[in-house]
Amino acid sequence: MWSFSNIADIIHEWLNKTFNATLATLFEMVIAGVCVIGLFAVLGLILVIMERKVAAWIQIRLGPNRVGPKGMMQSMADTLKLLVKEAMTPDGADKFLFNLAPYIAMMVAMLLMAPIAFASNFMMWNLNIGVLYVSAISSVSVISILMAGWASNNKYSLLGAMRSGAQIVSYELSAGLAILSIVVLSGTLNLNEIVLSQADGWWIFKGHIPVIISFIIFIIAVTAETNRAPFDLAEAESELTAGFHTEYSGMKFALFFLAEYVNVFIVCAIGATLFLGGWMPFHIGHWEGFNHIMDFIPSSLWFFGKTFFLIFLIMWFRWTFPRLRIDQLLNLEWKYLLPIGMFNLLLVTAIAILGWYF
Amino acid sequence: MFIVNYIKDVFNALKSLAIGLRRTLFYFTHHKEIITEQYPDNRATLHLADRFKGEVVMPHDENNEHRCTGCTACELACPNGTIKVVTKFDMTPEGKKKKAIDKLVYHLELCTMCNLCITACPSDAIKMAQTFEHSVYDRSQLTKVLNKEGSKIMEGVE
Amino acid sequence: MSGADILFYMLAAMILGSGILSVTTRHIFRAAIFLLFSLIGVAGMYFWMQYEFIAAVQIVVYVGGITVLIIFSIFLTQQAGEKLPEQKMGRQLFAALAAFCGFAFIMLQILRHSFIGTTKTTAEPSVVNIGNQMLGVEQGGYALPFEVVSILLLAALIGCIVIAVRNKTQTT
Repeated sequence: MWSFSNIADIIHEWLNKTFNATLATLFEMVIAGVCVIGLFAVLGLILVIMERKVAAWIQIRLGPNRVGPKGMMQSMADTLKLLVKEAMTPDGADKFLFNLAPYIAMMVAMLLMAPIAFASNFMMWNLNIGVLYVSAISSVSVISILMAGWASNNKYSLLGAMRSGAQIVSYELSAGLAILSIVVLSGTLNLNEIVLSQADGWWIFKGHIPVIISFIIFIIAVTAETNRAPFDLAEAESELTAGFHTEYSGMKFALFFLAEYVNVFIVCAIGATLFLGGWMPFHIGHWEGFNHIMDFIPSSLWFFGKTFFLIFLIMWFRWTFPRLRIDQLLNLEWKYLLPIGMFNLLLVTAIAILGWYF
Repeated sequence: MFIVNYIKDVFNALKSLAIGLRRTLFYFTHHKEIITEQYPDNRATLHLADRFKGEVVMPHDENNEHRCTGCTACELACPNGTIKVVTKFDMTPEGKKKKAIDKLVYHLELCTMCNLCITACPSDAIKMAQTFEHSVYDRSQLTKVLNKEGSKIMEGVE
Repeated sequence: MSGADILFYMLAAMILGSGILSVTTRHIFRAAIFLLFSLIGVAGMYFWMQYEFIAAVQIVVYVGGITVLIIFSIFLTQQAGEKLPEQKMGRQLFAALAAFCGFAFIMLQILRHSFIGTTKTTAEPSVVNIGNQMLGVEQGGYALPFEVVSILLLAALIGCIVIAVRNKTQTT
């Protein structure tokens, strides 16, 4: 049967047969890089049209409906437009940092792809400390925003960057605490092992109330971390004229835009891995027959299905809730999410020690 | 109790968020009742609200007669000089002079569709039409004469 | 030269190059960004040595924490796009001397230390081992320092709260 892991194995064997080890590793790195860039492009196209369609349907509109069947080719047209546009650099800007910032954003997004398990036995880097790695690297993404805001030499950009910095730094805490509750239950930081620990049921069902609480905290925190509405005051179009990317145009803007969507995909993939079992099919305890039927659906489909469900959830938030003020944003984090998250972590630790989970 | 209030706060917040989410999910799953007007395609079936105002017109009946007496009330009522009434004097059969309009000049490019001329008109001679495709290649085409060529005032309108 | 060597020299060049750029640039924000690259290079070095945990902690603490703090303080105190004034000669000399002293001290320590070649299999630096070591109470455990550090952090937290509360009563 064809699966991602089979294809990867075949390529690996063929390369090692044909070339020596160093060259084979080099080629594999290049292939992985090309695959990631391809995935980025596809994700960008899909997520943009998905966002616009979801927004339209929630607001009882039609959405893009001119380019291609039902408007599905609209994001292609947008990409083409962004590609041929002139990428300008403002005169007063710090040119080096201004041009560097979008690439940092993309690089962070690419690094975050490495430890994600896309299907069974299919991941780029089976990293011992996957969860810690993800939360560490995602804290670098704030740098690109700060860099863009400062280098633009524009007061709106600077304000947006400051807000977004404060926001990302504070919401990382509660996202981390929510992630830790799953680490406590599964006893490992390796994303693949976390998935394997959910073979008899996903953590959101096995860990019942405390895990559901941490799932809610996680979703709120990552929505804030990816700067999406209702936490998008860093790039509020109406107040800050899009915040840190006011001065960006053309492909440099497109890179920021793409990085935002890819980050949404990544945090949703992490959420799906931790709480919804990643590529693990829907299993219930020891119902062997049922579990076996579920195994017939390929693991990559499970993974992408869950991830896109979470992405839909985040888009649904965006088109439902009004934007928060900066003081409300920080209140929510420091007075509600963080204390609840800490208490919840204590609760999770208690049930993990006492074995009160399924 | 602080703790009780805190927990109540959190639950109320979650509940109100859930209500909002339910509303938008309802819209998301019921996209039959789309409110988007696909304008150039649906010209034939286009439905405009009653209160929509496109331009000022003067209705004429089948005998090419209108109701305008040339009283210039609309010209006086207009806040930005959109309407210019050019009057003339007709001879009635009894040999009296009677005031009538020669031309009622309407500058569409100045009009803000405020409806003040319509309410000012004592004889209901003008009304708002719902046409809105006003784009032309030359500004002078927006200056219109509302009464038709050779039209005259309707019998019995004073 | 093997692939690992090439990687090592690339990382070393990144660390040293961005370090030099960080002290020579006259834009304060650029200095912070070059410092950031230098720290990321150090993290890359840990990854190269396959100490993933230390590398991730390096990124969390230095890149995600300290550099962001530095950048924030620049944002709050400096004007965007302005160059810093040239430092006085005396200060430059003093700074160079201080840096050289630090470098000399470390080099001396390294050169005088006789490294023992080991044939033992290296301890696996997994998170479980690190956790056990950190909280171990027997010989070689770090339970006491760990607790002392946590008390220090607690004191810092309480200090923050005290400062925040006092400001509030003064303004009202």
